[in-house]
Amino acid sequence: MEINKPMIKKMKDMIFQNLMESYLPFPLDTKLYSSWATDIPEGGETVFYTSYMYQISGILKRYESLFPKIYKLNIPRRLMTASKFLIKPNSDELERSFNILKSIKSMLLKNNLKFGYLYDKEPYSGALLLESGFLNEYKEYGKKLYNFFNENGIKRIITVDPHTTNALKRYKDFIDFDIDVINYLDLVNFKGTGNYVIHDSCLYSRSMDMYNSIRNKINGSGIKLNENYLITSKEMGSCCGGPLSLISNKDSEDISKSRAEKLLSVNENVLVMCPLCYQNLSPYINNIKDIAEVVS
Amino acid sequence: MNYEWDVAVNKAILNNSPKVNKILEENPYIKDIADELRNVKNKVLDNIDEYIEKTEESVKKTGGHFHLAKNADEAMSMVKEIIKERTKIVVSKSNVLYEIKLRDEMEKEGKDIWETDLGEYLVQINKDMPSHMVAPAIHLTKDKIGKLLNEDLDKNINENSSAEDMVKSVRKFLMEKYLAAEVGITGANSVAADTGSVLLIENEGNIRMDTVLPEIHIAITGIDKIVPTLKDAFNEVIVQASYAGFYPPTYINVTSGPSATGDIELQRVSPATGPKEFHLIVLDNGRKEAINSEIRDSLLCIRCGRCYFSCPSYKLYGKDFGDSPYTGPTGIMWSAVTMKKYDKAMLCMHSGGCKEVCPMKIDIPKVIEKIKFRYIDS
Repeated sequence: MEINKPMIKKMKDMIFQNLMESYLPFPLDTKLYSSWATDIPEGGETVFYTSYMYQISGILKRYESLFPKIYKLNIPRRLMTASKFLIKPNSDELERSFNILKSIKSMLLKNNLKFGYLYDKEPYSGALLLESGFLNEYKEYGKKLYNFFNENGIKRIITVDPHTTNALKRYKDFIDFDIDVINYLDLVNFKGTGNYVIHDSCLYSRSMDMYNSIRNKINGSGIKLNENYLITSKEMGSCCGGPLSLISNKDSEDISKSRAEKLLSVNENVLVMCPLCYQNLSPYINNIKDIAEVVS
Repeated sequence: MNYEWDVAVNKAILNNSPKVNKILEENPYIKDIADELRNVKNKVLDNIDEYIEKTEESVKKTGGHFHLAKNADEAMSMVKEIIKERTKIVVSKSNVLYEIKLRDEMEKEGKDIWETDLGEYLVQINKDMPSHMVAPAIHLTKDKIGKLLNEDLDKNINENSSAEDMVKSVRKFLMEKYLAAEVGITGANSVAADTGSVLLIENEGNIRMDTVLPEIHIAITGIDKIVPTLKDAFNEVIVQASYAGFYPPTYINVTSGPSATGDIELQRVSPATGPKEFHLIVLDNGRKEAINSEIRDSLLCIRCGRCYFSCPSYKLYGKDFGDSPYTGPTGIMWSAVTMKKYDKAMLCMHSGGCKEVCPMKIDIPKVIEKIKFRYIDS
């Protein structure tokens, strides 16, 4: 497998510059992506934080496929601005992501939690920098992000996806970052029905050691889970292939397909907890749901 | 996706992972000694020079020869100096031997050198590289092996032969090589600083032959294999074998110096039946530098190979995930330590299963994260 280092470096520089200028990895229509929320107070000490992950998960692959073209054609970064109007999720994708966020918001409220939202001022978490090994840039952006949160009086952040949760929690390994970061799955209890196999988010279940707590909650909710040691255990459960897509889209899809086949051998209904896992696996699985779509 | 590899690796996982689980469930003490081992290995890394010195003293006390090689070239020169004009060599599977390119160098010099581990022998006649640290030939199907043996060894063997017949044929060939060998070269699964003993674990019996029949035994290993005591060395081989899926191991070989007897008036006479010379070459080759770096935990790895089967990148890329012989999640770390190669780290998906199954509790994804950074930053 040939790794295109100059392209990766260019991508790193472009993402980093964008983040340092606008708090976004690439141009995004933040007004549109925050329009799912209308009745949450703006700002506050505790905020509901999406990092736009659910909203843009459907278009990330399109952005990823843009990078090689930008690199090959040497397109200036400023021309990327237009992409925020050109690359958009379709209305079904957007509606689905909005419904998931509304469901999470509703579960948090029912669990008596109070929080605000930053709407279109919400910054991106920096997950892409950390997960790609761009550690200097991750640290630098983290300092900027920390200042942003401080200036806005934010002391506690409620995250809704694994990549954002991991990126925010990991800042303290590199810089001073004394903001409390907590994932909604640690805060809510819920009810649900049905019979599923879980495709674990690698970050939730292994990096952040939430494998058992997530299963305990789901098992207690009324949902029945099927397990197979070689496919769904903490030790043997596997990735959806997503992180590889920046290096090789084909290889990433091979992993996704293989993972989907294994999950389907356990149960035809698959439960995920990450918007990127959903995007990578859904082409190969008919009935795949995010946890926030099946519980309340 | 390579279909043949996909079938081979999935069979290996099916045969290995449940077996390891059963071993650990039935023998809970193994997890305890693994924890103990992690602590003593950290202690050695904190005081590496002291432990190398102690090992040297102990090896010399047993009548053996001790050599410290800074890098692969130095280790190779030491081997040549020991072997001199001798030509018949048998070797047992060792990643460090690949690290110093031992077989390539010896073959270039026209030596009659043979791998004696079955998997490694197959890799040798296939002019190939290992696909797994513990099971080097898992990428070869029985059909392929039958064809290989037919072309290279025995016209009576083909793809339809039984595995038993294939093994028998190789055994017959290697037996002649053992009996004629002047030098046996092995790695080491652990080295006890307090006694200078080298421990080697195996199931085939080839290492026992390699270490006893030739007149010279050379063990070559990394400084990371040194542990404080003989008890720790036994712990290391038990943990390694168990996490690799072999418990109890068929053979544990302990070598403390050359062969000797005290049967005549209790006076120590060396050699006796076994080798007259024992050499231990311990290799640095980037390891000391790694101790003082952000990838230090790589050196806690005992190379059981369990992490391979929890890794989606290895399942996809096989031996291309890493730089053979250092492949798989642990191979990404060892490639960085010993070859300063960082590029394959970019293929890691931080799935994290490797960390979950590691007996040494190495947070492999975090180490690989640092290696990715080295790649990007270099």
